[in-house]
Amino acid sequence: MGRTAGVIVTILFLASLLHAQGRGQASPASVPPPRSASSQTYPADQIAAGQRIFTAQCGFCHGRDAMGGESGPDLTRAAIVAEDVRGDKLGPMLRAGRADKGMPAFTLSAADLGAIVAFVHDQKTKAESLTGGRRSVDVADLQTGDPEAGRQYFAGACTRCHSPTGDLAGVAKRLQGLALLQRMLYPAPGRDGSKATVTVTLASGATVTGRLAYRDEFTIALTDADGWYRSWPVRQVKFLVNDPLQAHVDQLGKYTDGDMHDVLAYLQTLR
Amino acid sequence: MTCWHICRHSDKGARVLVLVLSFGVTALAQSLDPSALLKPARDSWPTYHGDYTGQRHTRLTQITPDNVHQLTLAWAFQTNQPQQIKATPILVDGVIYITTPDNLWALDARSGRQIWRYTYPANDGFHIGHRGVAVYKDFVYLTTPDAHLIALDARDGKVRWNVEIADSRRGFWSTNAPLLVRNPRTLAPSHLLVGVAGDFDNLPGTLKSFDPETGKVQWTFYSTPPPGTPGSESGGATGGQMWMTGTYDPDLNLVFVGTGNPTPVLNGPARPGDNRWTCSIVALDPETGKLVWGFQASPHDTHDWDAAEVPVLVDAPFNGVPRKLLLQASRNGYYFVLDRTTGQNLVTTPFTTVNWAKGVDTEGRPVPNPAKEPARDGRLVAPNEAGGTNYRSPSFDPATGLLVVSAHDAYGIYFFKPEHGSYGWAGANYTVWGKGVLRAIEYQTGKIRWSHDIGEGPGGAGVLTTVTGLAFSGDAAGNALALRTSDGTTLWHSGIGRVGNSPISYELDGRQYVILGGGSGLYAFTLPERP
Repeated sequence: MGRTAGVIVTILFLASLLHAQGRGQASPASVPPPRSASSQTYPADQIAAGQRIFTAQCGFCHGRDAMGGESGPDLTRAAIVAEDVRGDKLGPMLRAGRADKGMPAFTLSAADLGAIVAFVHDQKTKAESLTGGRRSVDVADLQTGDPEAGRQYFAGACTRCHSPTGDLAGVAKRLQGLALLQRMLYPAPGRDGSKATVTVTLASGATVTGRLAYRDEFTIALTDADGWYRSWPVRQVKFLVNDPLQAHVDQLGKYTDGDMHDVLAYLQTLR
Repeated sequence: MTCWHICRHSDKGARVLVLVLSFGVTALAQSLDPSALLKPARDSWPTYHGDYTGQRHTRLTQITPDNVHQLTLAWAFQTNQPQQIKATPILVDGVIYITTPDNLWALDARSGRQIWRYTYPANDGFHIGHRGVAVYKDFVYLTTPDAHLIALDARDGKVRWNVEIADSRRGFWSTNAPLLVRNPRTLAPSHLLVGVAGDFDNLPGTLKSFDPETGKVQWTFYSTPPPGTPGSESGGATGGQMWMTGTYDPDLNLVFVGTGNPTPVLNGPARPGDNRWTCSIVALDPETGKLVWGFQASPHDTHDWDAAEVPVLVDAPFNGVPRKLLLQASRNGYYFVLDRTTGQNLVTTPFTTVNWAKGVDTEGRPVPNPAKEPARDGRLVAPNEAGGTNYRSPSFDPATGLLVVSAHDAYGIYFFKPEHGSYGWAGANYTVWGKGVLRAIEYQTGKIRWSHDIGEGPGGAGVLTTVTGLAFSGDAAGNALALRTSDGTTLWHSGIGRVGNSPISYELDGRQYVILGGGSGLYAFTLPERP
């Protein structure tokens, strides 16, 4: 690394310290991309090799430029890329996949993995100097709602589960723009698992209640109060699932676009 | 069993010409004559949909609702690839051909054992999926992520020729399972129809017909104006890629193909009007590639809802009158019935949750609601971009008159502002929520007979129905399923991993097999053999 490059790296590193807030959240395309945990430079030939592999294996979902494709998020704005240092986060994730998000596990040599990491970080560096971005949704784009109309709608549709002074107090400080809109529409179960609970009644009449851990047509499973996973054949027990997110699903069919923007405007007042 | 069956297994590799009495044609013992596609043999699945109709319906009778619970694993083949199997296995002469991007395996259909494997050199086309091969005589055809068509020797997988379908440096790629067509009346030379994909760039919708012997291009059909021509008809739209395998009516000598979404994808103002022939079902003359008729499932699409889904051909009464019908459950959430002789629309009705249309016009096309076009502040739209269904094949069961579809009730939010530009995607969209549902549609009315939940997110499995009244598919949790076609009741399941392809069935040595892809493996199920 030349002296000039070293100086630039130092400046970028200092900048990254100043912009390190907001990490650990979902990738909010509406706010500036999170800065890298540590600025990283890679050889041009490694980046080029990574570009070839990335395009072939990752490009359809994440875009050839890693800025979002047909179904996958913009990686230049993804928290995991910001947190990654030379593949320490991306490597394990690529090799394990994220089945819950539809992402397959990849079998990659160390060299190929390193090249992909180099390309993604290089694209992130380039994205940080871009304004807008071709798939961007900015906070300013989402200011068409009426907060008072939203408050009234919220009072009718949302207060069975939510309170502006309880769980949603300060929500607008934690989430902005698109990230807030997405959470409002459907707060998808995250890495901490399902929000649903289930009560299973065994043949003996005894009941077990816990967090819903798995469910298909044939098996029902929960994580009990002691943290143990327990499963049963559906045919041999009775069970009742309580999924608070179902109310969000039901609401999707009721919102007009105006309602949606009004409720968002109201939530933005909960600072 | 006919002479066909006996002869095909009596002279392995000997290239003996035999008279096949049941079809009245002459065929090579170890190869596929195009006429075999008109009435596929019981021991074959010789083309993507199994036959030309796209019904994906088997007339084999061993596996029934009464005994399906006994199904057992005959063999499994593991590709050891990171990609899920999305391809339909093709079976000819006891050999199964199965693909993932860049990879083609020939397997012994009796054991699942590998006979040979071909690996295409590393390339930077999209490796998103692969639908399968086509077979003609002793040729096997593989499309590649960098949009080439490779012809291989079916004996050993050696490359005979390699031609470019379209320029991958411009953004084309191919996952396509080609369709082999030959007019049975004229016996004119065969056509190998090969499609490409490419909606990350503004490219003309391109379908090519190749001479299956030489790889020479016979014709090219453009669903949107080709380069250098005025774009008046399409309103300036490009796109409309024909990336799925079409169907063929030998009596009408028409090929039916679904076309993809327009580009720029989410920017509607850049391409005013209907954007013909994107998001359409087109009927083509296979000798010339000329358009005979077209029907637009989504005029002026702004949500990536191509109409590439299988155009299923059914000869059946419609309001009491026998008709040549075409059924499509389309990605935009609507079910269509057309008269396939003329393209006249007979039914248009939703089969999933939809909120994007104001109604249906006099031609039977949904009328897009401008308020649901992508906008700066976002629009909540059903279905989401993955659509009401997608590439996974539906299946038609003639006995019940049901089209069984892997449907998807879903919402997404769609954004567009002028800053997104007018190239490629040109906008932003995000899935909000979705749920997979197997849904049985009554073919004459579009009414839903039953729905069977398969879990969160879009399903990946297509459907195979059997003449005995079963529907094979898969759920989101990783179970292969067999349902009773008439009411959707589950009769069998096996946790083989997420089924990502559309099942097939064949009979070999007197036993019926059902084959499904589970994750990156291929699984063959059959009834237990008597000791």
